[in-house]
Amino acid sequence: MTTRLLIAGLLALVLAALFLLPYGVSYFYIFVATEILIMGLFAASFNLVFGYTGMLSFGHAAFFGMGSYTTAMLLLHLQVPLVWTLLAAMLTSMLLAAVIGFFCVRLNEVYFAMLTLAFGMMVFSVAHQWRSVTNGSDGITGFPLTEFGLGLDLQLANPLVYYYVVLVVVVLAAALLYLVTRSPFGLILKAISENPERVAFCGLNERRFRLIAFIVAGLFAGLAGGLFAPFNRVASPDMIHWSHSAEAVLMTILGGSAYFLGPFFGAMVFVLLETWITSYTDHWMLVLGIILALMVMFFRRGILGTVLDRVLRR
Amino acid sequence: MSNQTRTIPRPRRLCTAVCLALGLGVAGSATAQEPVRIGAIYIMSGSPSVYGQFAQQGMQLAVDEINEAGGILDRQVEFVLEDSQIKADAAIQAARKLVYSEQVHGLMGLDSSGVATGVVPVVPELKRPFIITHAATPDVTGKLCNRYTYRLSVNISQNTRAAAEIAAETGARRWTTIGPDYAFGHQSWEFFGDYLKELDPEVELMERTAFPRFGNEDFTPFINNVMDAEPEGVLVSLWGGDLVNFIRQANNLGFFEQDFEVLMTLGGATEVMSALGEDMPEGIWVGTRYWFAAHENATNDAFVSAYMERFGNPPSYNAQGAYAGIYAYKAAIEEAGSTDPEAITDALSGLTFQAPNGPLTFREGDHQAVVGPTWGQTAEVSDEYGVRMLDPMKTFDGDLVTPDVSETGCSL
Repeated sequence: MTTRLLIAGLLALVLAALFLLPYGVSYFYIFVATEILIMGLFAASFNLVFGYTGMLSFGHAAFFGMGSYTTAMLLLHLQVPLVWTLLAAMLTSMLLAAVIGFFCVRLNEVYFAMLTLAFGMMVFSVAHQWRSVTNGSDGITGFPLTEFGLGLDLQLANPLVYYYVVLVVVVLAAALLYLVTRSPFGLILKAISENPERVAFCGLNERRFRLIAFIVAGLFAGLAGGLFAPFNRVASPDMIHWSHSAEAVLMTILGGSAYFLGPFFGAMVFVLLETWITSYTDHWMLVLGIILALMVMFFRRGILGTVLDRVLRR
Repeated sequence: MSNQTRTIPRPRRLCTAVCLALGLGVAGSATAQEPVRIGAIYIMSGSPSVYGQFAQQGMQLAVDEINEAGGILDRQVEFVLEDSQIKADAAIQAARKLVYSEQVHGLMGLDSSGVATGVVPVVPELKRPFIITHAATPDVTGKLCNRYTYRLSVNISQNTRAAAEIAAETGARRWTTIGPDYAFGHQSWEFFGDYLKELDPEVELMERTAFPRFGNEDFTPFINNVMDAEPEGVLVSLWGGDLVNFIRQANNLGFFEQDFEVLMTLGGATEVMSALGEDMPEGIWVGTRYWFAAHENATNDAFVSAYMERFGNPPSYNAQGAYAGIYAYKAAIEEAGSTDPEAITDALSGLTFQAPNGPLTFREGDHQAVVGPTWGQTAEVSDEYGVRMLDPMKTFDGDLVTPDVSETGCSL
């Protein structure tokens, strides 16, 4: 019980720190923090499929990209309030996840990974080559940031305001995602990752549960993408590329996939390292590679995972 | 060695420290103030990174010259460089970092039209002047123009206006293109076609065109496609490593021995010419935003010889653009009398300053510099410069190739 209280206290502290962050750091770090929150949500949504259900997807960026393009195109062509574009982003990426998931969940392990990679590259090619709609490799740019909607008077173009919008949306989404993982549905996913045959023997349609997990993960990735485009001011095919899917994998491994907040922590480490290291060298990927190699060799459960393991004596 | 160090008498070392401090104190009036900081965003990674390196050299030369001559408003100048990665989002992040973390007074750079279209709409939020020195899409001084964005380099409409004149003189009537598959390649073809039609309404712009992905490595299918189409003229708007790879492969396939004219809109980049040397085909029309041997004025002479001496190769158009960008800021800051970004932005509008390719003026209507490209036919490789020279060569007058502000779609 005391450890639970401790964790609740720490969480409250983190939230308070995030809320007060703009008063304590230089203005530039508002952008860094915004990116961390969004990428954290993206990685956490990936972890529902990876850590919780035991499926390694290499196409998760497709849903992030779908969300980004949905938001960017709605803002560009229709100037819809942001809240509706976010809902639309969730809807379109959910539909895309349903279609891709329908095929992918039929396979396991490396075949599943390969098929998600293939679908991811298909979506990438469409975004990259359908110039008349997606503007090709330049992506959707120059869309206006209008209002948030719901009668709220928010200047979204102000980075500080946008940070708080992202903070609130990501915290709500993360809470929802956490509830999903703690629900009976979430426990079944956990069981599937540990022993799919046994779950099937219990009379549960294992494939259906995996599909639902895939769709829910796609939906949250779409929300992350929908938040990212207005921050980034571009929806580009790079966001759909498999290397962007790999970023979610890396962040999750860096933080630790066994804990819900692991991917968020991993996103923080990843983005901060990228920000700092690129100031000194253009070879940041090399440094990242060395860090990852050391992590996988010595801290398999990720940074946050290893620390929490110690604290909770697992 | 260590023995020698120990023998220096203590008082002298003390004096060195004190005297240095005193000396600094005297000279301090010029240096005690915060330096003027310029943020630059160029491509520093991947195959086109040689463009970024040239830009960096150009800026370094300009900054050192200015600091040696007393700085700007008695303050030293320095630049902070970030990598655009040829991605709009990376460049936007870089611009935010430069403004909010590095506290720069002004921004400059950008190598790609695709990147520029993404960055320019965000510039007003950063509230810093931005001088584009390379990216060529007309949109950033056209429909996307804004108070803070300026461009000193030749844009697509200026360059293709000149290209169309050269094309019309060759007598070729059936034209196709091979260009990178993004804003730049498509707009180059569109503008070239429009201008050529104006000069010669009978000319045929072929449906069959080739747009390989930027960073593509195998151009063979595209080269064959163009040769099969049997055009009379081909406009090549590939640039950077793409152009180098294309020319090597086109040489092997006999592309340049065919019976058609070849115009390369950016073939006169010394980055490309140096990489190719003798492999650059002779007798091809190439365009460039600046050619080091095309301008006879004191500024250019001093620039080219200082550049050659320091870096061992002739300055490319990107080096010249970056060099001129620093001097544009010098002129604007001196005109404004302060480093307040709003004051610099105002001072840039209508400003005339001396660049190696002549005096340049930022038009008040769209913030585009009135400047023309140099076009020429590739000739012998020069022993001194290591690149093919241009002969015949023609530098277009900016006034003649720059469209009227009313045609740009810009309203400021």
